[in-house]
Amino acid sequence: MPLVLARLLVLALLLSGPLRPAWAEDPERIVSLAPAMTETLFALGLGEKVVGITSVCDRPEAARDKVRVGGMSNPSLESILALKPELVVMTTDGNPKYIADQLQRFGIAIHVFTPRRLSEIPGGIRELGARVGAAETADILARKLENLLTTPPRFAAGEGPKALFVIWPEPLIVAGPGTLIDDALTLVGYVNIAADAGTAYPRFSVEEALRRKPDVIFLGLGHDRDNPRTQRLLQRLVPPELGHPGRIVTVSDALYRAGPRLPGGIVELSSGQNLGAKRSDR
Amino acid sequence: MKRTRVFLACAAALLLALVSIFFGPRLLNPLALDAESRQILLLLRLPRSAVAFLMGGALGASGLILQGVFRNPLADPYILGLSGGASLAAALGILLAGSLPLPLPLLAFAGALGACALVAALGRGPEGLRPDRLLLGGIGLGFFFSAVLLLLMTLVSDGGLKRTILWMSGDLSSANWELIPGGLALILGGLALALARSKGLNVLGLGDEIAHGLGFNPGRERFFLFIAASLMTAAAVSLGGTVGFVGLLVPHAVRHLVGADAQRALPVSFFGGGTLLCLADSLGRSLAAPLEIPAGVIVALIGAPWFILVLRKKGYGL
Amino acid sequence: MLNFDDIAFDFSDTPFIAGLSFAVAQGEMLGLIGPNGAGKSTILKLAAGLLKPRAGSIRLAGRPIASYNGRERAQRVAYLPQQLDARLPFRVAELVEMGGYPHRGRAPRNTSEALRLAGLEAKAEAPLGQLSGGELRRAYLAMTLRQGADCLLLDEPLAGLDLRYQAELLQLLRGIAARTRTTVVMSLHDMGAALWLDRLLALKEGELIGAGKPRELLGEDLIRRLFDLDEEAAWIFRPGADLPETGQGRRSSG
Repeated sequence: MPLVLARLLVLALLLSGPLRPAWAEDPERIVSLAPAMTETLFALGLGEKVVGITSVCDRPEAARDKVRVGGMSNPSLESILALKPELVVMTTDGNPKYIADQLQRFGIAIHVFTPRRLSEIPGGIRELGARVGAAETADILARKLENLLTTPPRFAAGEGPKALFVIWPEPLIVAGPGTLIDDALTLVGYVNIAADAGTAYPRFSVEEALRRKPDVIFLGLGHDRDNPRTQRLLQRLVPPELGHPGRIVTVSDALYRAGPRLPGGIVELSSGQNLGAKRSDR
Repeated sequence: MKRTRVFLACAAALLLALVSIFFGPRLLNPLALDAESRQILLLLRLPRSAVAFLMGGALGASGLILQGVFRNPLADPYILGLSGGASLAAALGILLAGSLPLPLPLLAFAGALGACALVAALGRGPEGLRPDRLLLGGIGLGFFFSAVLLLLMTLVSDGGLKRTILWMSGDLSSANWELIPGGLALILGGLALALARSKGLNVLGLGDEIAHGLGFNPGRERFFLFIAASLMTAAAVSLGGTVGFVGLLVPHAVRHLVGADAQRALPVSFFGGGTLLCLADSLGRSLAAPLEIPAGVIVALIGAPWFILVLRKKGYGL
Repeated sequence: MLNFDDIAFDFSDTPFIAGLSFAVAQGEMLGLIGPNGAGKSTILKLAAGLLKPRAGSIRLAGRPIASYNGRERAQRVAYLPQQLDARLPFRVAELVEMGGYPHRGRAPRNTSEALRLAGLEAKAEAPLGQLSGGELRRAYLAMTLRQGADCLLLDEPLAGLDLRYQAELLQLLRGIAARTRTTVVMSLHDMGAALWLDRLLALKEGELIGAGKPRELLGEDLIRRLFDLDEEAAWIFRPGADLPETGQGRRSSG
């Protein structure tokens, strides 16, 4: 018996040594390596505990004076360590793996946010919430999104109005399959005309976009109609001579990130839709 | 006799370029154009092919000129730091003035021309432009511009900046009719200047002493030819960003086909380069539709293996 | 044809040539002989207008050389440096064609004639890179023939050539000089080859130390002085002065 106890004791000592990453139940010092994570952490009410963010984390306003630790794809390990974080939150969609490996080697606890598709995000929020000790708030946040996800679609698959989401007008870059935007479009009932493009953010053929006659064109952040670039694109995409009355809707970048503004972004999409009419009615 | 061959070659190239206009994600039948196809042809395909032809022609001709001026078969239009200068000018313009006060092509053109002027100043010797100094100046400046550009990209997180760099790396899909008159004037002007000096280009290849012996002023010939190449390249870059490899590849192919006499090789390089880029763009918009593969990628994919083969066979001058 | 009057020339502010005067008659084959650094190339470049003298005047066909513009000068005098590039993407015919540039399309000889004179008709379409050393020289020479200049300035045209090609080139030049009254001024090292020429100028360190017909000029003493040789070497290298005045020399009349 004593031998077993002794062994257990040794094991406990070993496990409590410096090799084991510290596991803080409610981390007080959190570094976020993704804008979506920064926004989510603030939405979970943990803004005070965020001690470091990346240079591209621009929301919310309150985050602006936090210490920057570098970019998303190239954060500075030194800067992160200098902040003595108890938890570093990362995502698979944009952060390099080597940072995760290095942080673990230094014994820093990390939480990796893996969900990429819209349907996986509520689960991811809850996981994050559990990890940072904000499970209840996370649940509320997740529910907001889930409510929208479980709303039954207005149209049968493939029968809704056709849509195109423009990320950048020149060259034309659109939201393709596998993006949050694509998921949101499908959720609301649109048919993304770029769904066969093969990659997430393809350089799309303007010709093809013209031929596929989208019913709605969504213009992403920064591309309102006063912009000459956008005007040129629209002139080519929906030439008035063809008398094709495509609707043009300007939206924000809410759907660009897997953050707390996703529900709002989904609603923005809905506003562009005459939800009563089916495509065949036109 | 050779003149007619040259004329036929150019005409054939032009014809090929014209035919390529009708290819794309969906084939256009010139005899049966509905309203939509007509719109696509006029608004999208024609300006695009026109820009491709002008760019490819400008780059092909500039490549020939610079390979002659530098007596180096590996010279290409960007050796003078032009693409770096253009990209940097565009990037700075965006940074310093929020939304562009000047259109991007104008900025790119100014940047490219500025880079040329800088290189020319660096390359000046007591008797005009010296090729060795030009080359060193151009390469050095090119590295410098690239470094500054990378620095900007690292420090600034403006998405627009990054996207502009994307445009600078070669985009024919945003071609529109507005750019074409200016580009046409500059490129044809540069070509005319180069053609007027094509004898000078030939004798420069023989070395300065023999060029002098034949009654030419090598420094002056280099100067005018440099201006011609700079104008054409700067215009090409401002029309559709930097498309690599055309300027390197086309002169070699043309010399292989019609010989090295610039009076013949220059026009053929222009038409050949133009057609090449037209065809490459045609393929780029058709192969993976609805995706667009940049024309420069197609040129490199097809051109590089061919280029290596030719080099191994010929070996002259290398 | 060509006159140097009291020419002074400096190399990077150090005086090199001073008080140099000589004249070359039309149709004459003049050789500049001397060791390296004697100033042979410099004199040829001065005559070609590539270098400008500090003092004195150079006259070409009676006019000061500076009074010619580039094209006029090129119509009168042709210059070939010592190093001729073969790694150029041109063919022989294309190279020869360029000889016509100073005449803007009304060259005194056309390309095929120039090729024929130089004995290169068979090689008209050959790329320069495929020619032998002798053929390359002749190709560039053919270019100067098309140029139709009255005076050819050739810097070491025999350098690196087999004796056979040297002989070919010298015979060619002699034939051209005789038939067309073209003046040929060439620099050379080889005293055997010097015997082919009409007259020689012996140069050492920028100074003219002798002038005259080859057989008269190239005595042992001069050779010793010129090339800093000892007695034995000077005797061995003397250019066969005691060979009979060879009637087979086939000196063309006129």
